Amino acid sequence: MRAPSDSSPQTPVLDVRNLTISYTSARGTQRAVTDVSLAIMPGEVVGLVGESGSGKSTVAMAVLDLLGEDGVIETGDILFEGTDLRTLSATERRALLGHRIGAVFQDPFTSLNPAYTVGDQIAEPLIRHKGFSAAQAAPRVEELLAEVGIREPGRIARSYPHQLSGGMQQRALIATAISCEPRFLILDEPTTALDVTVEAKIIELLASLCDRHRLAALFVSHNLGIVNRLCSSICVLYGSQIVETGRTRDVLADPVHPYTKGLIAALPHITAERHQRLPSIPGTVGKAAAMPTACVFAQRCPFVEDACRNQAQALRKSAGGRDTRCWKSDALKEAPWPTEAGLATARKAPTQQTAPLIEVEGLCKTFDGGRSILPWRRRSGTVAVDHVSFTIERGEVLGLVGESGSGKSTIGRSILALIEPSAGKVTFDGADFVEGARQGDRDLRRRAQLVFQNSAASLNPRKTVGAAIARPLVLSGLTEPKARREKVAELLSRVGLPIHYAERYPHELSGGERQRVNIARALASEPEFIVCDEAVSALDVSVQANILNLLSELRDELGLAYLFITHDIAVISHIADRVLVIYGGTLCEEGPIERILRPPYHPYTEALLSAVPRLARAGDGPERPRILLEDTMVTTSGGCVFRGRCPRKRGAVCDEQAPPVQTAADGHRIACHIPLAELAAAAPVFPDLVA
Amino acid sequence: MAAASPSASSPARWPLSLWIGMAMLAPLILVAVGGPAVAPYVYDEMNFLARLQPPGPDFWCGTDEFGRDVFSRTLVGTRESLIMGFSATLISLVIGMPLGLIAGYKRGRIEELIMRASDVLLSFPPILLGILVLAVTPPALWKAIVAIGIVYAPQVVRVTRAITLELMQEEFIEAARLRGESARYVLFSEILPNIWPPLAVETSLRIVFAILLGAALSFIGMGAQPPSSDWGLMIAEARPFVEQAPWIALCPGFALAVTVIGINLLGDGLRAVLDPRNTGRH
Repeated sequence: MRAPSDSSPQTPVLDVRNLTISYTSARGTQRAVTDVSLAIMPGEVVGLVGESGSGKSTVAMAVLDLLGEDGVIETGDILFEGTDLRTLSATERRALLGHRIGAVFQDPFTSLNPAYTVGDQIAEPLIRHKGFSAAQAAPRVEELLAEVGIREPGRIARSYPHQLSGGMQQRALIATAISCEPRFLILDEPTTALDVTVEAKIIELLASLCDRHRLAALFVSHNLGIVNRLCSSICVLYGSQIVETGRTRDVLADPVHPYTKGLIAALPHITAERHQRLPSIPGTVGKAAAMPTACVFAQRCPFVEDACRNQAQALRKSAGGRDTRCWKSDALKEAPWPTEAGLATARKAPTQQTAPLIEVEGLCKTFDGGRSILPWRRRSGTVAVDHVSFTIERGEVLGLVGESGSGKSTIGRSILALIEPSAGKVTFDGADFVEGARQGDRDLRRRAQLVFQNSAASLNPRKTVGAAIARPLVLSGLTEPKARREKVAELLSRVGLPIHYAERYPHELSGGERQRVNIARALASEPEFIVCDEAVSALDVSVQANILNLLSELRDELGLAYLFITHDIAVISHIADRVLVIYGGTLCEEGPIERILRPPYHPYTEALLSAVPRLARAGDGPERPRILLEDTMVTTSGGCVFRGRCPRKRGAVCDEQAPPVQTAADGHRIACHIPLAELAAAAPVFPDLVA
Repeated sequence: MAAASPSASSPARWPLSLWIGMAMLAPLILVAVGGPAVAPYVYDEMNFLARLQPPGPDFWCGTDEFGRDVFSRTLVGTRESLIMGFSATLISLVIGMPLGLIAGYKRGRIEELIMRASDVLLSFPPILLGILVLAVTPPALWKAIVAIGIVYAPQVVRVTRAITLELMQEEFIEAARLRGESARYVLFSEILPNIWPPLAVETSLRIVFAILLGAALSFIGMGAQPPSSDWGLMIAEARPFVEQAPWIALCPGFALAVTVIGINLLGDGLRAVLDPRNTGRH
């Protein structure tokens, strides 16, 4: 299978030299990549990491000749096996792409053409580059599908993309990328759109493929945990420049550049001490082109000196075969990123002397297939939430964890009566919330708010920030303009935004700033409870840390209760007091976070926890092998909803009977047929968890 | 840093199409306002000594079969054509926008009712509907305007409903419902400001269709009546003389073309200017 090597091992497969790229638009020219050099040796996987806007994808696009009309390579060479790609004609270049260079992109759902079968699309490069006939290609396609871990390659090859799950589609795309036995792969955030358990399997697959075929790859990602698992070396991009490179283990365990230090420090860590603020990087991302005579990170760097502001930094060799764009990196070697632990204010403890703030009983939601007046257009509904019950105390943070399609957002919206539940009851401070909302009880509405995932879509693009925040104030009777303006200013500073932002429109703000506005708007009606629906998921790591800190601060000072919906275990373990784990609309496990992270585990929770990509930290023991689940998700009624993917399925009892809820210590409850004692015997996923 | 973006109304950023569109329409609007005052001759004054004169220094665009100055008639006709286009479109908007908003917001039976009714109207060719409305009573310009307004209302309904449906999915509408806002507030304060820009673009195209339909109706004698100098009517009257004196038809035809192209360019330019995402970041 291995392609014969036609270049000496000393020649890098990909050698990018001093690449500088700009985008031109009606708004002027913007530098996207500044003087980036990197070399990838045969068989080596290099991670290119950075936050949004750092230029990481632009580098990948330049190699693939996909910059588009606006993107211009100003200087630099892109050498593939010694040939400068920029000197090739369009035809010669096309012959290389898809043949010697394969690519896998972020979104499998849009990367496949819905009008062709998966098999046809995998065969395309074979026919185009290898001169196969359609009949010759068919057996090779099945071989490829088997290679990427698809069980029934024949059937899948004849399927259309919409018939496959996201994980299967991404496997098919990987099969396409490796169909012509390339020497080199470009992987641009290939798992970002996938669930954690699926992501774990795809990463495993990519690692084994690269290993088996001695494939070199450029892996573009924002997720340090995945880079840690897959890449031998790493390039950290910031503000269009490379700020640090080196071997992955070295860089992640012992970062030298201040930005890398901050980035790693700002990641919520599952095994870290809880109830502390996350270290964060102040400010927002700058651009190298905007600051030609200063270090690009100077504005946000805690170690900044006058010398940093007067001179652009060059990439220099520092100790341990690593390059760093910081003149004082040697001096900073031991300096840790400053923590803000001292800023944490005393928390108002969750009060339990009264009844819980929120009681949810037997919540069900079935979505209609189609409520048409025409009988043949009516279809049976989909069960999104099935008899879920839980409580939230005052001042408590309840985490709700699940994968896409698990019904977690539906639960969040149902208890706020944005979606009418099919059955069940939501009691808010003794009152029936759904009934109250239906009758237009604004005071009840006022007390429960929502912060959305998409900070842009949740603000009206035609209203200023001030108007958005002022509206709830108007509704609660604050009609006097001057008092209202003062209150808006107070709320803006409360969420850490300058007061003059009241005049701005949402599109003039960054994602993190918009999310602050959303929080300010939610706070305006002085709620007691806020549903955070993936409120930090779309944000970059450094921004996410800031928003998480803000939310913790508000919880501590105002005694707010949150229902924190997320798919990110690290975030939930940082902020939640108690956690619900949900799968296919039913509750698998519930308990205090400390209990959830330790055995006994529900088999699903165990797989979910083991799939979380983590950073190796000094003193970590050997990693526990990951539990890999099947791709398919079966949610037929009767029996346990997880049985189709369960690695510990017991047999017929799982198919026939709904699992019993077993209670362990501290209100830790698990819905599973396996006895508690047996579940408790599982090896801990995080042996390094602080006691 | 989120730099304060240059505002949408900064003319330096307006696209070329907007400028050309405005340059084409500005003289037309001036002429429409000036009306008979700017015309070199009285538009309906006959001069039997100068029938069917070709274009020359006395009559820039020649004369028609009654010796009326074609250039003056075309100038005077501008007012009628533009009034026809704008007021018919206004009527379409007044009828169509509320119906579209209600259909998109309320959904269910009301939506079905509104949409099926407009489907029925849409299934007839506009000219036929125009004739239907006008045929029962003696023709007059205002009737033609109302007829065109009604005929094109379903298009406005469709566009408004489509945008409303899209907006209803947005989270800021959910946020409004979460505050317990009334339907009226959601419709007028959250949705309407976002409907306006795409609708303005659509509307500019509707004006073109209205002018063309008006001309067509006048052409078949259902709109403006002689001795009016409506462009459609002028072209109709020029028909018997097309070989002999093509200028009688060409002059209003050219004016019609300039109007249509001008408004189209303007609409195109507006689309770019009014989209808030085209201004600052993103």
